[in-house]
Amino acid sequence: MPWFIVVEQILNGLVLGAIYAIMASGLSLIWGSLKMLNFAHGEFYMLGGYGLYLLLLYTGLPLGVAVPICVAAVYLAGWLVERAFVQPLLDKPGWDVSPLIATLGISIVLQNLALRLLGERIQSLPYFVEGTLALGSVRIAWHRVLILLVSGLVIAAFVSILKTTRLGMALRATAQDRDAATLQGINVRGVYAMTFGLSAALAALAGTMLAPIFSVSPWMGAALLGKAFVVCVLGGLGSLEGAILGGVILGTVESLAVVLWSSEWKDVVSFIVLIGVLWVRPAGLFGTREW
Amino acid sequence: MLALESVDAAYGDAQALWDVSLTVGRGEIVTLLGANGAGKTTTLRTISGLLRPRRGRVLLDGKRLDTRPAHEVAAAGIGHVPEARRLFANMTVRENLLMGAFRAERWADREATLERVFETFPRLAERRHQLAGTLSGGEQQMCAIGRALMGRPSLLMLDEPSLGLAPNVVDLIFDIIRQVAQGGVTILLVEQNAHLALEIADRGYVMETGRIVLEGAGRDLLEDAHVRRAYLGL
Repeated sequence: MPWFIVVEQILNGLVLGAIYAIMASGLSLIWGSLKMLNFAHGEFYMLGGYGLYLLLLYTGLPLGVAVPICVAAVYLAGWLVERAFVQPLLDKPGWDVSPLIATLGISIVLQNLALRLLGERIQSLPYFVEGTLALGSVRIAWHRVLILLVSGLVIAAFVSILKTTRLGMALRATAQDRDAATLQGINVRGVYAMTFGLSAALAALAGTMLAPIFSVSPWMGAALLGKAFVVCVLGGLGSLEGAILGGVILGTVESLAVVLWSSEWKDVVSFIVLIGVLWVRPAGLFGTREW
Repeated sequence: MLALESVDAAYGDAQALWDVSLTVGRGEIVTLLGANGAGKTTTLRTISGLLRPRRGRVLLDGKRLDTRPAHEVAAAGIGHVPEARRLFANMTVRENLLMGAFRAERWADREATLERVFETFPRLAERRHQLAGTLSGGEQQMCAIGRALMGRPSLLMLDEPSLGLAPNVVDLIFDIIRQVAQGGVTILLVEQNAHLALEIADRGYVMETGRIVLEGAGRDLLEDAHVRRAYLGL
C-alpha cells in the first residue's frame, strides 16, 4: 500500500477524532457536574446538522452566520431540556436513574419528531469550502482541514473558559463540591442548566461540521453517541483531557483499521481498543476525575 | 443580627433539630458546643439555606433568610466555613479563594481582597498555585477560612476549625479568628473543643440531641458544673 494513503487516513482519523473529542467533552462535562449520562446528546448533534440544512435551504444565509445561529439555538434547547426535564428529577431520593431515563425519552422523541417533520430521506450538504489541499502526494479536502482548525480552536477556547473565567471556574467548583459552591453564592441550578446548554452547543457544532461528510438524517446522532461514550470511557469518565486524547486515539485507530482491513471492521477494532485499555487501566487513560 | 426562632429541621424522616432558638448580636463571638451528632452542623446548614427548616424562622437583621434560595445567603453577608473544609480539591489555592469572591459585587475587587487574605495567611500566598487537595490539614483550614473571607462577610460561621489539627496550628487558627472578630466581623463558632471555644467566646449555647439545653456567657459556661463534667472533662 502506498505510504501516502496511510498518511491521508491518519489525517482523516484526526478529523474524525477531533469531532469525537468535541462530542465526548460535552458528555464528560455533564457527567462531571451532574453525575449523569445524557442520552439525548446525539440528538443535539442532529439538531445542529438539521438546523444548518434547513437554514441553508430556506434562508440562504452565509455559513459564517448560519453555523453560529444553529449553535446558539441548540444551546437554548439544551438549557431548556435541563430546566424542564432534568432539574425536576434531580435530588429525589431513590430516583437516581430517572434523569438519565428522561434523556433517553427526549432522545426518542426528538428522533421521531425529526422523522415525522423532515422525513426519512437522508439529506446532504455541500462542503463548507470546496477543493483539496495537496501536500506532495498527500491530499486532504479543505473542509476537513477546516474541521481540524475549528475543533482545535473551540477545544482550546473551551479549556481556557473553564480555567480562567468566573463562570468557568464556577462550573468546575460546582462539579467538585456542590454544597461548597452554593456557600460561595453560586446558583448551582443555574450552573447545571448552563452546563447542559454548553454541552449541547458543542454537539451542535460537531453536527454542523460533520453534516457535509456524513449527511443529515434523524438517526445521525445515535451512531455517533455510541462512539462518544466509548471515548469517554476510554479517556476516563469526567476527564476533559481524557475526552480529547481518547477522541483523537479512537478516530485515528478507526481510520487506520479501514485501510488495513475494511470499513466493516472499524467498530470491532475500536471496541477492541476500548477493552484493551480497560484491561490495563480500568478507570480509563486519565482515570475518573472531577473537573 | 442573626436570630433563629423555634427552628425544627430534618434530613428526610430523621428530625435533627427540635425547637432551636438562638441569637447572635453584631460584633459578638458566639459558640455552639455539643457532642458529635448534637445538631451543631445542622444548625449552621439551616442558617446557610443548605437545609430548609420544617418549622420556625431564620432572621438576619430582622429579614427572613430561610425563604430565600441558598445561594443568596452568601450575598446577605454570611460566610460559612463548612465542616471538613470542603475545598475544591482539583482547583488551585488561588482559584479556591477567588470562588469566595464569586458574587458580582465582590468579583470586581477580587485582586485587592486576595492580597489582604494573603497578608492574613502568608502560607497561602506561597502555595497559591498548588492544588487545594494537596495541602496539609492546617493549610486547608486556612484556605477554607480565606475563601469565606474573600466574600467579606459580616457574619462568619466556622464549623469545627480545630478538627484534626496539631495544637500549634489550632492556636494559629484561633489567633486569626480573634483577629477577624476584632476587624468587626461577627463570629458563630461551632466547636467540640469546648475549652478553646469558651476562651474566646462572649456567649455560648450547648446542644444535646438536637436541642439547645443551656446558654450563657462564655465565662459562666466555663464554670457550669454540667459543662465542666460533660465537655471539659473536669
